Amino acid sequence: MSTMDPSRTDLGFTDPDPRRSGPLDRIPSIVLPIVSVLLAFAVGAILIWLQGVSPLRAYAVLFSNALGTPEGLLRVMEKSTPLILTGLAVTVGLRAGLFNIGAQGQLLVGAIGAAWAGYHFQLPVIVHLPFAILFGMLCGAAWASIAGVLRAYRSVSEVITTIMLNAIAIALVDYLASQPLKEEGQPLTRTPAIAETATLPVFGIVPSGFLLAIAVAVFFGWFLTRTTQGFRFNTIGLNPTAARYAGISVKGTIVLAMAVSGALAGLGGAIETLGVTGRFEPAFNAGLGFDGITIALLARANPIATIPAALLIGTMRTGAAALQFQTGIEPEVVDVILAITLLFVSAPIVARLLFRNRNIKQTTVTSGWGS
Amino acid sequence: MHRKFVLAAVAASALLLAACGGSSSDSASSGGSESAGGSSQAAGGGGEGDCPGADAFCIGLVTDTGKVDDKSFNQSAWEGALEAAKATGGYAKYVETVDPKDYENNINQFVSAGYDAIVTVGFLMGEASVAAAKANPNVNFVGVDQFQAETIPNLTGLVFPEDKAGFAAGYLAGLMTKTGKVGAVLGTDTVPPVKLFGEGYKAGVLAANPEAEVTLVYHAPDNAFNDPEWGAAEAKKQLAQGADIIFGAGGNTGNGALIEIAKAPGAGETIFCIGVDTDQYATVPQAQKCLLTSAEKKLTQGTRDLLLLAKEGKFPGGNFLGLTGLAPFHDTEAVVPEEVKAKVAEIVAALDAGTLKTDVSLG
Repeated sequence: MSTMDPSRTDLGFTDPDPRRSGPLDRIPSIVLPIVSVLLAFAVGAILIWLQGVSPLRAYAVLFSNALGTPEGLLRVMEKSTPLILTGLAVTVGLRAGLFNIGAQGQLLVGAIGAAWAGYHFQLPVIVHLPFAILFGMLCGAAWASIAGVLRAYRSVSEVITTIMLNAIAIALVDYLASQPLKEEGQPLTRTPAIAETATLPVFGIVPSGFLLAIAVAVFFGWFLTRTTQGFRFNTIGLNPTAARYAGISVKGTIVLAMAVSGALAGLGGAIETLGVTGRFEPAFNAGLGFDGITIALLARANPIATIPAALLIGTMRTGAAALQFQTGIEPEVVDVILAITLLFVSAPIVARLLFRNRNIKQTTVTSGWGS
Repeated sequence: MHRKFVLAAVAASALLLAACGGSSSDSASSGGSESAGGSSQAAGGGGEGDCPGADAFCIGLVTDTGKVDDKSFNQSAWEGALEAAKATGGYAKYVETVDPKDYENNINQFVSAGYDAIVTVGFLMGEASVAAAKANPNVNFVGVDQFQAETIPNLTGLVFPEDKAGFAAGYLAGLMTKTGKVGAVLGTDTVPPVKLFGEGYKAGVLAANPEAEVTLVYHAPDNAFNDPEWGAAEAKKQLAQGADIIFGAGGNTGNGALIEIAKAPGAGETIFCIGVDTDQYATVPQAQKCLLTSAEKKLTQGTRDLLLLAKEGKFPGGNFLGLTGLAPFHDTEAVVPEEVKAKVAEIVAALDAGTLKTDVSLG
């Protein structure tokens, strides 16, 4: 076994060269996600039409209710916040050549960590709020680092470990919320409410968590393109062998990238707890991490682009209830549209892996790996 | 070449896994939802159109995270709402909750559309119902399975005397047992309704058959309602000890017991199981073979009655005790002797009328 790593999954997000060969690489990167979304909406329109409702009216309801009222806008921002962050979590992983499927698990441990830090301590706001947020991030980072360490030092595919860690995280937070961290004296599985001093404020109709998420996305847009550490992430994603020759610690960078990815998902969970739900209750955080994968792929692993991608999904999730109320369409139609979007944006990735076989073969011959 | 193809396949299936898991994996594992996973098209409700105006009596229903055709709590309550709409010449509509963070928003959609009564299903919505009722004193709220600690005039919790349902089931078991040994596999006794089911069952068995030996086993409080393996193992143990009728009550834990009993030799002939809450012939098809009946909470009737009271301006507030009873026998119809059926029907009626007491208390 040579230096080339056979367990690495090339998803095509690590190569910044726009002149790459392959039939799908000549299209500008913004076209694919837009076409995917439009196609998904077209398929959704057929499904809506089959339920006897005009698709135009349905889509008008879906968006006008979410975007046309102050309460709707508030909830769009609330719902988009964790999606931006889980989208970023997946994005940072992709840029470093890691496919983090575990954002959901990292978000859950971050959410319950922030809840504990939020209710267990009595501190002034100026200390308590940052502490609760950072503690949630730390929990997410620690959880993701398990997969990072296994990946770096034992070459265990992070795709597998993060999926498995999701299942473990679900069981772990259920246990924590039903046993040691459970609120006394009532039958529900949940933690006590967080203290006032750990609550993220809402400015008018703008949740502070949303502003934080935007700031973090912008920061990562800068970090990944303009800093040395960001360069290291991209380089190990691009070519670990070259990275090693260039003196970059590949193993250390893998662990760090995974930890950063987990911290972002954990931040998403922390903001949910501290800004929206006010406590940890297991059912309240379902599915957010998985939407992050859709968002990262839709955003083509561009940190800034995760913001519009997350807003699109947040808007659709917000509008789903009104859609059901006003037209009687099953709210799951939104999930169907998102799933189809995911299918369309990810299909070219799979296609690329197949089309690039020839190139890979040549590379592997020269590096002495293969058979 | 092949290796790369495998990688592509892994990546593709990982994406698929993620997409599938997105909407359901987490919510399914968290307790409290009564959803049985019915996914067929919802019957009635929803639909275009809206509350026709101030004259009509308009009923809104918000499901717990689950579908309105879940063959369980959501569906039973919705059927009650439909019956009430029919009886009053009114209109009924539901909204299915996908994300528990939307409870409040889903309730408010009905409030702002001017609905007269709103049904919220399941104890997880308890707090959202209290908040909505306080904010909207002109709207009547029915909280299904939501015990009210404090009396709010426009919010009535539809709760059930579980001891009566358990008693009726136990009475039937006491009359039907051939071995003189009956059992019960239950969720935790720290949750009052479960203990009431269990102790009521025991009292019922002994009322019918004072010689009978009753074994009750409660799960530890941790993971009490989602441990089907434990339920199955305990059911097996009780069968081995000679019990021929076993009551399973405690979410998936109880269902695990029912399914195990259905696999036993003689199931449906000499060995029987009894379900809980709603007619489990519909919710746990794998248990149909052994299922004698279910100790039922009459949700449909209770929901309808409360809505009719709201229409008449006699909405009670506080807690409303619904009726309990036994589900149809289905496959075991022929096995149960006519005189047993008559005797049990008599007991159910006496319990409803209050002339027969279960003498069960939580103390």
